[in-house]
Amino acid sequence: MQAFIDQLIQEGYFQAVSKEAVYATAMVLVAFAVLSFFVAPLAGVTSWLERRVWARMQSRVGPNRVGPQGILQWLADGIKNLLKEDLIPSAADKKLFSLAPYVVFVGFLCTFVVIPFGSQLIVADLNIGILYILAVTSLVVVGILMAGWSSNNKWSLLGGMRSAAQIVSYEIPAGLSALTIVFIAGTLSMQGIIKAQGWAPWDWFLFHNPFTFAAFFLFFTAALAEGNRTPFDIPEAESELVAGYVTEYSGMRFLFFFFAEWGNLYVIGAVATTLFMGGWQIPPVTDDPVLLGALQFMVFFLKAYFWVFVAMWVRATLPRVRVDQLMAMCWKYMVPLSFICMLGTIVWMLVFGPQGSQIFSVVLFVLAVGILGYFANRVLYQIRNARPELYFKPHI
Amino acid sequence: MSFGSYVSDIKDTVKSVFEGMAITFSHLVRRPMTIQYPDKIPVPIQETLPRRYRGILEVDMDICTGCLACERVCPITCITIGIDMNKETKQRQFTHFDIDVCKCMYCGLCAEACPTGSIRHSQEFEGASYDPAGLVRHFVTKPAALYKPKKGGETDAKLAEKVDTGLKYLDEFATPDGGAAAEEK
Amino acid sequence: MNVPAQSLSPGFHTEDMTISVGPQHPSTHGVLRFVVKTDGEVIGEAIPDVGYLHRSIEKIGEKVTWHGYVPYTDRADYLAAMFANQGFCMAAERLGGVEVTRRGEFCRVIACELNRIASHLISVGTFGQDIGAITPFVHALRERESINNLMEEICGARLTYNYIRIGGVGYDILPETCGRITEFLDHFEPIVDEYNRLLSYNKIFIKRLAGVAVVSREDALSYNLVGPNLRGAGIKWDIRRDIPYSVYPELEFDVPVGTGHVGTLGDSYDRYWVRIRELQQSCKILRQCLKMLPTGPAIAKVPRKFKPPAGECYVRVEAPRGDMGFYVVSDGSEYPYRVRIRTGSFAAMAIIDKLSKGIMVADLIALIGSLDVDAPEIDR
Repeated sequence: MQAFIDQLIQEGYFQAVSKEAVYATAMVLVAFAVLSFFVAPLAGVTSWLERRVWARMQSRVGPNRVGPQGILQWLADGIKNLLKEDLIPSAADKKLFSLAPYVVFVGFLCTFVVIPFGSQLIVADLNIGILYILAVTSLVVVGILMAGWSSNNKWSLLGGMRSAAQIVSYEIPAGLSALTIVFIAGTLSMQGIIKAQGWAPWDWFLFHNPFTFAAFFLFFTAALAEGNRTPFDIPEAESELVAGYVTEYSGMRFLFFFFAEWGNLYVIGAVATTLFMGGWQIPPVTDDPVLLGALQFMVFFLKAYFWVFVAMWVRATLPRVRVDQLMAMCWKYMVPLSFICMLGTIVWMLVFGPQGSQIFSVVLFVLAVGILGYFANRVLYQIRNARPELYFKPHI
Repeated sequence: MSFGSYVSDIKDTVKSVFEGMAITFSHLVRRPMTIQYPDKIPVPIQETLPRRYRGILEVDMDICTGCLACERVCPITCITIGIDMNKETKQRQFTHFDIDVCKCMYCGLCAEACPTGSIRHSQEFEGASYDPAGLVRHFVTKPAALYKPKKGGETDAKLAEKVDTGLKYLDEFATPDGGAAAEEK
Repeated sequence: MNVPAQSLSPGFHTEDMTISVGPQHPSTHGVLRFVVKTDGEVIGEAIPDVGYLHRSIEKIGEKVTWHGYVPYTDRADYLAAMFANQGFCMAAERLGGVEVTRRGEFCRVIACELNRIASHLISVGTFGQDIGAITPFVHALRERESINNLMEEICGARLTYNYIRIGGVGYDILPETCGRITEFLDHFEPIVDEYNRLLSYNKIFIKRLAGVAVVSREDALSYNLVGPNLRGAGIKWDIRRDIPYSVYPELEFDVPVGTGHVGTLGDSYDRYWVRIRELQQSCKILRQCLKMLPTGPAIAKVPRKFKPPAGECYVRVEAPRGDMGFYVVSDGSEYPYRVRIRTGSFAAMAIIDKLSKGIMVADLIALIGSLDVDAPEIDR
């Protein structure tokens, strides 16, 4: 984007003001545009989709009254929460209590700067892209601890502590899995990682070698844990701690936490797509830059949203793990496995060269398709064994 | 922890998660079972309820004999009946027949005790009201005479129909000498 | 998992937290309260505080007639209403010398086993939800809807049935209802397998429950646990088998007992697994009853003003949450003199304090769910 602004300055648009002022204004405007026109509706629609997906998985219909198919439900929820009384418990630490949601929000929003929506559609292609994302999402820990402590409520405190332990621990498998990819791509920059992949599935880093295949699942699991999603949603475990660290929050402050959570799902999906699934790469169908940009945006969005759907699906299916089991899983299972994946990838690259072996990639891809086929088989088995016509027969 | 149990832990987790996700996905593609009451239903729910459904009580005053059996048998005293003597006709008449619907336990003991089947459970269940007074149903608006069952069947056609409905309702209850399914099988 | 509470270094000064689980909590089953002292995540003691749902049902028994009290027994445990009905009616029959008709007995067993399936569905469903799995709960409720519809067809109500009356049952079961019950059973048995594949065999679920809150045989007996809690500890005791009543001697069914096949004998998973297998056994009993249903009247002749001679009796029925005991004293009048209901959940509350020493807060929730305590039963 910087190149675009420089081009505009050269063409003589912003003569009167200094270059820094132009940059600053452009940054603010772009941030505003991205946040209000992309992130806010995205988080809202994700919340609606999550409720619909859960409902269909539970044999019921989710919210479907507000707007066509209920798609404006999030607007109704947002307006309702805005109109609620702004309640700060009298014994709570007012400054920290008010500030905590914003810290969490900032922690998640800063990642949007480096998400590559298309080959030209990125706000800033930092050359430390993936490292920046891992660093900035850790701000969320500070926010959650602030929320848990300042609520002056033992349940919130328990939730905040659990969350801090969880997020800090799961940074490591996430970082190591990302590092595995960085070795292959040779760069930390997000666009660089995508450009090192191709558009065909066997050119993706996901199928590059068996170790990256495993690293993908480790990364996804660790990212779910960082996003406080089931099976790791202990900090907000509804049935155990009433609502964990958000117990004392109500109204818009409460929504901010969940806004951050749903938006974070998209960031997880986006990073997973960038690292493992080839990002916005599409087959070379057109040269027109606008059309190309639009197609790349669509492809990236669909790939990233698919993982959002998988995260919702996992939440509907699995029970939650206990805190000590969560820690055990991280330190005893995921960290050693991440190291093995990383070392395995390095050895693979030594043996087969930095591009890996095309044959192995195709074989892995076929294997993955086979697993999907087996999955479809199990789904059909479940459908055949349950008799849907008896779900409910009104007495007519 | 041995290497074998380590690997089998991972294998079991992956397998059970895979199976669970297949099940939830299979539900995603099946028809949901929700009945979207009250606006997106083909027929009103009241018509789909079974015969024996114990909804809000209703009384057909035309065939009520004023025997007070329902008032006596009600375990929560939600039925209040008032009978006094009409000075002109020297007949007994109802002054009030109130059922407090929010006290009612919907147990059906009153319906079973009624000799003519005039007090019945209807199929109605939407009895919400904006004030507590609306929850007391008054079945006598002006003083009405008691019903005297005629020996040898009812002659008046409309009343005969009502008596029939009442007796058919009473047929649903089990009795010591047979019942609906005694002759079957 | 038992972590000793003094696992921190002795010189490190920590404070215990006293937190109150409930009475408003998404997963205490009903209105219960526990005052929990914890050291971080590890619980020191959990003292139950009951009485939030007390409705004086036993006192009401002294004020209404014998027939009129039967709808009140529904509310003693509204998830297993049939069993309370049956207990009280059996006590009244024993005092009054009434013999229930054979068809009435079979109708009672059919209704009770359907209610057992419904109650266990709620139990395993809410247990899954406490552990975090939200989908199996709704699936269990969906199946319970079909049972509610069947009960609505039979007796007109979906939760508080007032179906079992003194002398038999209030409404007869018609042949088309029997056909629908068979259809439901054909549909339901594969659903239990699907439920198992979704939840019971899930490794995360098993790891949450294996070895957690183990109830030993001695503890189970000395704390007076009953029902699936007792059977989960390995003791094979079922009122339907050991103190038989109604037509259970003629029916063939197994009594599932915990085996400790994941983790230890008597842990939470055992109790849960006993309930799942009881679901399957109830299906078996229902099929037999539907085949053996005799003709005849469904209720015996009982006077409108029921006045049993003076005396007392104690009747036990196998409710889903254990054996429900009815101690009824009559003084010859048309009102009972004293009705005392003894329920299994009350005893289960007593053992929670002992079991919760050294476990984590998350395990406490699993423990309460696995014991299937139910607030209306505890407080009556």
